[in-house]
Amino acid sequence: MITKEKIEGYIQKIPPSSKILTVTLSLLNEGELIKAAQIAKQDLALSAYLKELVNKPIYGFTNSVSDLNQIFGILGVSKSQQAVYNYMIHLLSPDQWKLFQLNKQSFENLQAELSTGWQKITTHLQEDSKEIQSAIALLPASMIVADALFGEKIDDVNLLRSVNPIDLNTILQRLCGMDLFDICEEITKKWEMSSEIAEIVQAASGVKPSSNTKIDTLGKWMHLLLFYTLSKPTNIEAGLNDFIDFQVEYVGDIYEEFSTLMEIA
Amino acid sequence: MRALVKDGIGVFSPQGFLDGNNVISFLSIDDIEATAKLNVDMILVSLKKVVFFNRNGLDAFVKMFAKVRAANHATVGFCDYDEKKFTAINKFYKDDLNFSLFSSYAVAELFASSFKDKNKNVLLYSEDKSQRAAMAIELHDNGHNPIIAQTQEEFKTKSKNANAYDVIIENTYLGQMGQKIATRVTGNAIIYTVSSFLDTQIGNTFNIAYHNNSLNVGFRLFIFDAFKVVSMNVHALNFFSKLASSSAEYNATICFVGLSFEKTPIEFKETLEDAGILFYEQMEEILDNKELLKELGASSATNVKNKRTLNKVIVTELPNFIEATVETIEMMTNSKAIKDAAKVDKIEIKEKDGKIASSIGFYGDIDGMVMLVFPIEIAKQACELLIGEETNDTEMILDTLAELVNIVGGKIKTLLGEQGHRVDITLPRTYPNVDALLEVAQEKKGVQVDLSFNDDKFLFFLTR
Repeated sequence: MITKEKIEGYIQKIPPSSKILTVTLSLLNEGELIKAAQIAKQDLALSAYLKELVNKPIYGFTNSVSDLNQIFGILGVSKSQQAVYNYMIHLLSPDQWKLFQLNKQSFENLQAELSTGWQKITTHLQEDSKEIQSAIALLPASMIVADALFGEKIDDVNLLRSVNPIDLNTILQRLCGMDLFDICEEITKKWEMSSEIAEIVQAASGVKPSSNTKIDTLGKWMHLLLFYTLSKPTNIEAGLNDFIDFQVEYVGDIYEEFSTLMEIA
Repeated sequence: MRALVKDGIGVFSPQGFLDGNNVISFLSIDDIEATAKLNVDMILVSLKKVVFFNRNGLDAFVKMFAKVRAANHATVGFCDYDEKKFTAINKFYKDDLNFSLFSSYAVAELFASSFKDKNKNVLLYSEDKSQRAAMAIELHDNGHNPIIAQTQEEFKTKSKNANAYDVIIENTYLGQMGQKIATRVTGNAIIYTVSSFLDTQIGNTFNIAYHNNSLNVGFRLFIFDAFKVVSMNVHALNFFSKLASSSAEYNATICFVGLSFEKTPIEFKETLEDAGILFYEQMEEILDNKELLKELGASSATNVKNKRTLNKVIVTELPNFIEATVETIEMMTNSKAIKDAAKVDKIEIKEKDGKIASSIGFYGDIDGMVMLVFPIEIAKQACELLIGEETNDTEMILDTLAELVNIVGGKIKTLLGEQGHRVDITLPRTYPNVDALLEVAQEKKGVQVDLSFNDDKFLFFLTR
């Protein structure tokens, strides 16, 4: 169904990060918000994406924000970096989703929901590292990879899952010895993203706890946030709810804190 | 979301958070309709991967339970929860708990008539005395040994000695239990469960098309689990007499197990015995006696009534059958298939050693049977994806092979549906060796296609 060669081919096809993006991220890393905005302006698609993103209702700005200097200024260094990473992942998303009932708009909404949820969590956990705040951007890459690899095999996947409650991550692991999150890690390497981001997202898969307590705790929060988000009606209808297995036991010790933070009745 | 059906139990497994806003997305009206049409003993909703639920979130499933029970009398309920969730459900439905609650899937299986593993030592406790009794009766009826703890203290003391029991049951509640004619396969015997009063309705509830196709696929032993039958009238007597006569033409055996003649005239027994039906008191008398099983036909399938030939429609659809099979095996083994040869004749298997087989029948607009002969290594490889690990346990390989052939059957059903042929599929039958398969197939003519997967020879045979 899916071979290791197919995965390697997929990874190879991922374009390297553009110079504009690399420089923008590097300037953001140095805290040079205005300079970063000047560079980012040269990439019209990035500018348009950022404008659309921050003006989504979930970000809660009362007035429309359209100037990139203003956007980076409002977001601050960490959230700006997260937004640029979101754009990079967005570039990977297909024009036409096959496995999941998603489109450009709904995928952006999903990114925004995860980002704002993660922001709430990192603030609560008093984690102000840029890498940790940006880590959430990589999580939806797992959905893009799943759609790319399994999209043409929908019938096979459905038949297989009609006899065995097996998630896509496990199918891939059993077929090729690597899972969706390993491929996400490959993306971080290709784009020279921080290894901490990959570690958190690997832990957030729920099946690969980290030996580093801090990373593992962040992985738990991210895993629970993912399923909190994937339990939204639009995401269930998109077929996202069961693309990976929810590990309830993994998040058992943080659930109460999470439900208080998210005000779950 | 659709239920995953295995061994007569359908399970829904929602993940994450379950509330009034999202439950409609988990369970649409179409899903409910499809569930009501399933031929199952039990419909369960697993809460294992649900971290949060409220009453509104459960209500949609509870409404589905009512529909399913009205449609096919299956047992319905929730399973896989901890004590906190159990308390919450009881609080939500305090005065209206008319569905069952099973603390785990393994516990639910014990109450399903389709459960293969009998004779479990089960320690059980419920605060409610009538629940304790109801559970013990059901477990006993299903062939287990229930041990009831009368007090919580006694339960705690006994459950410390966990090794003494196969299963320990608490936080479980039996709502209305199901009553339907169920079908399950134990080894290669098909077991139907009948209950309460057997009358003229048996003709409507018994799936005769399924039975006939099971005969055609090669099943030869049919057991009616009649422990819960109160009485039988003359209409049911006629029905079973006719069923026995028609099955005799296939050299098949029909048995009744656990039928009491307290309220059924004893003359009925003589009439049924004259028609060739056998009576046993306990299921173990048959299932645990391999010699008897063989004698009754569970491992044999000779003397096929009709040697039917392939027809034009089936031959026209042959590429679809092969495509469905090849695609499935390719998917499961991650290897490419090469077609070596094809011929129309009786099945010919050159090397019999190290091979296992499976067959599945289809019936409806067209009917027939697909037989697949696997080198055990291919079967193991194909099953690895489903099991998740390497195994040499032949029984497990055969069980998983049955699932794999079920996938092939499902695919055939879909492909034929696309061509406008509506068909249903039978349960898959497995054969631990080639000789067992040949007992069913050697006199049948059909299309044989020899295929290679990574140099392993694999055989596809389509017949009627």
